[in-house]
Amino acid sequence: MGTESLAQHSSSVKRQEEQLLVDRCRRGDRDSFAQLMRLHEKQIYNFTYRMLGSEGEAEDLTQDIFIAAFRGIRSFRGEAKFSTWLYRIALNQARNRIKYLSRRKYFARQARRADHGASAVSESPEGLADSAPTPEQWTMTKDLAAQVQECLNQIPPQARQILVLRDLQGFSYDELSEMLSLRPGTVKSRLHRARAAMRECLSGKLE
Amino acid sequence: MNCGKYQSQCNDYLDGDLSLREREKLKQHLKECLPCYRKWSSLQKTQEILHQLPTLDPPEHLGAVVMARLKNRRLRQPLWFSANLPRWLPLGVGAALLFLISVVLWEVMPSQYPWQSLFPSSRKNVATTTRPAEPSKETVTIRKGDPSSSAPVMVLRVKDFSRADQELQSMLRSFIRPPLPERESSRSPHTRSARLFQLQVPGKRLPHLLRELHKIGHLDQSQVESQELANPGQQKQVSIRIVVVSNGSDVEIRQLREGR
Repeated sequence: MGTESLAQHSSSVKRQEEQLLVDRCRRGDRDSFAQLMRLHEKQIYNFTYRMLGSEGEAEDLTQDIFIAAFRGIRSFRGEAKFSTWLYRIALNQARNRIKYLSRRKYFARQARRADHGASAVSESPEGLADSAPTPEQWTMTKDLAAQVQECLNQIPPQARQILVLRDLQGFSYDELSEMLSLRPGTVKSRLHRARAAMRECLSGKLE
Repeated sequence: MNCGKYQSQCNDYLDGDLSLREREKLKQHLKECLPCYRKWSSLQKTQEILHQLPTLDPPEHLGAVVMARLKNRRLRQPLWFSANLPRWLPLGVGAALLFLISVVLWEVMPSQYPWQSLFPSSRKNVATTTRPAEPSKETVTIRKGDPSSSAPVMVLRVKDFSRADQELQSMLRSFIRPPLPERESSRSPHTRSARLFQLQVPGKRLPHLLRELHKIGHLDQSQVESQELANPGQQKQVSIRIVVVSNGSDVEIRQLREGR
C-alpha cells in the first residue's frame, strides 16, 4: 500500500469516526460533542484569532461558534464534511462579530494602539526605521507577526476571511467554494485581490 | 507585453496551478520586467510570512467553559431535519396552506370586483329546473342584508308563495341600484352593485324561486349549487345565500349554501 493510499485510508477512517461522534451528538450526547470540539478547537481558535486580532475576542467567538454548532447539530445532514459545516457557522459568527466590533470602533482603536507601539519603537535608538529589513531579509519575529496581524485587520473582512482560510489554514478552492457558497472562479479572483491588498499593506509597513 | 496577465499568473504559480510551459514563460517575463519582478518578489515574501505565522494554542479552559455554557442549553429540534424529511417540506406545506386559504376566500367572497368576472367560478353548474309553479300556502321567509355582513337587516314573511315571488321581485329591484335595467340596456362597469339575500324556503320551492329570479334578474349564466336542486321534492328547509351583482344587464347568483 503506497503512502498516498495509506493517507487516504486514514482520512476516511477519521471521517467515519467523526460521523459517529456527530450521530451521537445529534442524540444529545455532550461527551461526543466535547470530543468533536477537541478535534477542531485549535483550527477554529486560530481562524477567529486571525479574523479579530485579539486573544480575548477570539476565545469568546470560539465559544459562541461551538455553542451554535451544538445547538444546530441536527441540521447537519452529513452531505458536506463536518469541518466545512463548522466553518460555515464560524464564518457567519465572525461576520456578525466583526460588524458588531466595527460599530464600536474596535478595529480603529486597535490600529491606533499599534501605531503608538510602532512610533515608540522607531523613536528608540535601535528603531525600526533604520533597521527595517528588506523583503529578502524579512523573518518572523514577534513584531513582524503583530504587523501582519495589523494588516489583516486593515483589509476588508471578506478579503481577510478568504486569505486566512486559504493561505493560513490551507483549505482548497473547492472547500472554500463550498464554505462560502461561491463559484471557484469567484473564490480565486477574491483571493488574488486579498493577496494584493495584503502585499501592499505589508510592503508599506516593512519596506 | 501583458503585465496584468503575468501578475495574475503569479498567484496561479503560488497555488501550483501553472503548467510547465506557462511557468517558463512567466519566469522569462519576470527576468525582463522589473516592476513585475518586484511585485512577484513581494507577493512571494508575503506568502512566506503568512505561512510562517505561528499557530496559537487555544486556552486550556476553552472546552470546559463551552461545556459549562452548554449545560442548560438544548438542541434545536427542526422536525424536518430530525425526521430526515426533505428541506423543501416547510415551504411546500406553506404553499399548500396559502392555496387552501385563497380557494376558501375565493369561494366566500362576493363577486363585486370587476376582475373576478375574468376567472370562472369553480362551482358546479346546475341547470335550474323549469317545473311549473305550484301555488302554496307555505311560509317563505326572505331576509336581505349587506354582502359584507351576515346579519339580516330585514325579514319578510308571506303566507302565499305566489306573493312571495312578487315580494322577492320588488325587493330585488329595490336592492339593485341603479334599478335593474332591461336586457337591452348597455353594460357599464360603473353601475355594478352587489347585494346579499338570505332566503329560507322549502326545498321543493327552490327551483320555482330560481325560475322567478331568472325572470327578473337575467340569470342566464347563474351558477347555483345545492343538493336540494338535485332532490327538489324534499321538504326540508334550505338557507340560500345569494349575492346579486348587477353591472348593467347581468345578474348572477354567486353563492348558495345549504342550512338546516
